[in-house]
Amino acid sequence: MANTNKMIFAMVAGILYVVFGILKMLEGLGIETGLAESLLIPGDFFGGFCFVVIGSVFLYAVKELSAGVHMGVSYVYVGILMSLVFMAVYLLVMGADLLMFYAVKSEDYEGWRIIDSMRPGIYLGLLSLIGYFSWKDRFTTEMTNV
Amino acid sequence: MEKKKITIALAGNPNVGKTTLFNAITGARQHVGNWPGVTVEKKTGKRTYKDTEVEVVDLPGTYSLTAYSLDEVVARDYVVEEKPDVVVQIVDATNLERNLYLTTQLMELGSKVVIALNMWDLAESRGDKIDTRKMEDFLEIPVVKTVANRAEGIDALLEEVVREADKGEHHEHEVSYGDDIEKKIIELEKIVGKDSALSGKYPVRWLSVKLLDGDENILEKIEGSSVATQVNSVLSAIKKEDYEAAMAEKRYETINTVLPQVCVKCVKEVTFSDMIDRVVTNKYLGIPVFLAMMWAAFEVTFTVATPLMEFVDMFFGWLAGVVAQSITNPVLGSLLGDGIVAGVGAVMIFLPNILLLFLMISLLEDSGYMARAAFVMDKLMYKIGLNGRSFIPLLMGFGCNVPAIMATRTIEDEKDRLVTILVNPFISCGARLPVYLMLAGAFFGRQAGTVIFGIYILGIIVAILSAKLIRGTVVKGKPSPFIMELPPYRLPTLKASAIHMWEKGSIYLKKAGTIILAGVVFVWLLSAIPAPGVDAAFASEEILGTEDSLVGVLGHIIEPLVAPLGFDWKVAVALVFGFIAKEIVIGSMGVLYGTGEDEDALAEILTAGSMTPLTALGLMVFTLLYAPCIACVGVVKKETGSWKWTLFMVAYGTTLAWIAAFLIFRIGTAIGWGL
Ligand SMILES: Nc1nc2c(ncn2[C@@H]2O[C@H](COP(=O)(O)OP(=O)(O)OP(=O)(O)O)[C@@H](O)[C@H]2O)c(=O)[nH]1
Ligand SMILES: [Mg+2]
Repeated sequence: MANTNKMIFAMVAGILYVVFGILKMLEGLGIETGLAESLLIPGDFFGGFCFVVIGSVFLYAVKELSAGVHMGVSYVYVGILMSLVFMAVYLLVMGADLLMFYAVKSEDYEGWRIIDSMRPGIYLGLLSLIGYFSWKDRFTTEMTNV
Repeated sequence: MEKKKITIALAGNPNVGKTTLFNAITGARQHVGNWPGVTVEKKTGKRTYKDTEVEVVDLPGTYSLTAYSLDEVVARDYVVEEKPDVVVQIVDATNLERNLYLTTQLMELGSKVVIALNMWDLAESRGDKIDTRKMEDFLEIPVVKTVANRAEGIDALLEEVVREADKGEHHEHEVSYGDDIEKKIIELEKIVGKDSALSGKYPVRWLSVKLLDGDENILEKIEGSSVATQVNSVLSAIKKEDYEAAMAEKRYETINTVLPQVCVKCVKEVTFSDMIDRVVTNKYLGIPVFLAMMWAAFEVTFTVATPLMEFVDMFFGWLAGVVAQSITNPVLGSLLGDGIVAGVGAVMIFLPNILLLFLMISLLEDSGYMARAAFVMDKLMYKIGLNGRSFIPLLMGFGCNVPAIMATRTIEDEKDRLVTILVNPFISCGARLPVYLMLAGAFFGRQAGTVIFGIYILGIIVAILSAKLIRGTVVKGKPSPFIMELPPYRLPTLKASAIHMWEKGSIYLKKAGTIILAGVVFVWLLSAIPAPGVDAAFASEEILGTEDSLVGVLGHIIEPLVAPLGFDWKVAVALVFGFIAKEIVIGSMGVLYGTGEDEDALAEILTAGSMTPLTALGLMVFTLLYAPCIACVGVVKKETGSWKWTLFMVAYGTTLAWIAAFLIFRIGTAIGWGL
């Protein structure tokens, strides 16, 4: 069944986004998780909240799909769209940092490397990108033919 | 105990099982037949349910409330003229799309409706999965599954009916007919509303819609009324056939947006639009998703603008250099350098933020998402005493409150409109953003984004609580129905959104060149005139922006008012002039603290000086809440037509701002912050 793949995907993505979101929120509140360094997680309370929302959308998909509701695929689709929107946001932020470094040559950016602007939103977004391109049009067609 | 008495009407399309249900409820044996048009007259029966005596009226079938045949007229007239306590619409579960058309009309009429989802057995055996909870959410109408010929679901139905009849008020949803038609509807409403005999008996929106629909019966009613000539002159200017068709289409469009959410099997094809709607209108996820989208828009506005701001900054730095070199007259040099470049520059530096903010709002609007957000928020808005329709004007307030307040014109109910206008200034507009950006940037470093987002949230919370407060006290009453607008999603083009951005952004530019310019020049002038008794030349270095200038004298007069908040006299002056335009708070601080064009310098001076993170936070909150700018006050006066309400708004906001800043300063100091 085609939906099993989507369900596993949603489960993985959902857990990842919720966990990263909570880490971001904790860091944002000033609570050291010890993972910020290695996973490039910025302290950002509201940003973390957004991740938890994306994760919840994915997990809702798991809930509906496992109950046999085909329309649950909608949540996978929207979860992917939202994570791509956030990926775009963080890429734009990275672009802004690039400008600050190369064009403005701001003092605050001395010794800046591209990895400093790498965010979970970007590398988790890659997962969604894969999901998006492997299912794209089949999201609706499969739904219609059940 | 005295029994309650209610009357209910059984309405519905032909051959959906109305009479069968009538018989099941009342125990009567009216004729039933499997073809349309069996019942041609209304029949009455009785049934006692718990402590309520229910009079049940069976009606002939009708497809819409615009009656064409005689038996349809019977049904229509009963529902419209006799006004039963509750209308039970019997809906054929196997043919939702067509049946819901009548539902949209009943909603418009403002009747209390309960839907009996009949022929449930057939739908189920066909494998349809109808989500009645979703249906209730979308229509704001209770839905009960029934199988009339087996008398199933009758008690549940009666239970709902009695509960609905008991309800003091009910909140209905209605179809939106799109901007052009809605404009005509509002025009007609204004006219029809003047005839109190008509508007007392029927909802004015319904009358107006029916007039555009070309309903003969309503036209007759109008003919005999005091507003006949006015209505006719509006109607004769339009092509009615076009309207009728367009409105029917809109009703089906709304039904077709709702249908896939309610019943996947009922539609031939599921679209991406349906899939997105399923998520963004979800009961639990809808609002969090909306918040996340707003945060994404906000993040782009805030961070992507940084390098662009640097470019603007460089430009003004260059300009200041040119001015310093080429102007030798000291007074003129000071006016240009210390006044205009410092003041206007401090405001212009935030142009990238403003443009990006508008771009984000345009993208969200153009995609069709905002309309969904309004739908999702309707329940919440209703709880706080507003209408879902108030949501868009509130949201527009993030750009500028002036057009936002003008946008409240789409809210027909005067009270709804008044409340929406009065709380709108608490929604933080783009002009206040520079103040936050400068202060948060200076005092909160990496947390600046969080602090600013928090300020925005605070504005929303204050708006909500104020709405509830105002609704509960000075503007009592219930919110009017919510007009559902669910346009299909479109991928917004960057070009269209950029055009929208520019339309709004150029207003900011114009403002910088006119009112803000005038404001800062005025502040500079005041700060260049020596105070009485001070022996110094006009615009001389040693008095500029100090206590020895006229502005210093004025500042000290008003300082006691804000001293309890931890603000000094310069801040007091800046706040006073911020009344002209909120950007001037920053602009005049630029002049008064003598920073030239450099926004970083202002931040440095402030952090080194008397200001602490605590007073900075207080100043941000004060700027958020206190009297809106003069343009906004003007538009409130114009739209409410009342000085009383305008002054109320100004006084209310300023008082609130003072209290909030006071609490921040006092409590913060007490617990040892910002020392
Ligand atoms: N399977 C099934 N059939 C039903 C149900 N309710 C009514 N019917 C049948 O539908 C047919 C039409 O029923 P009526 O009660 O005459 O319908 P009506 O809405 O009064 O029709 P008009 O008076 O012509 O507008 C009859 O054959 C009923 O037996 C139901 O819940 N399930
Ligand atoms: Mg009948």
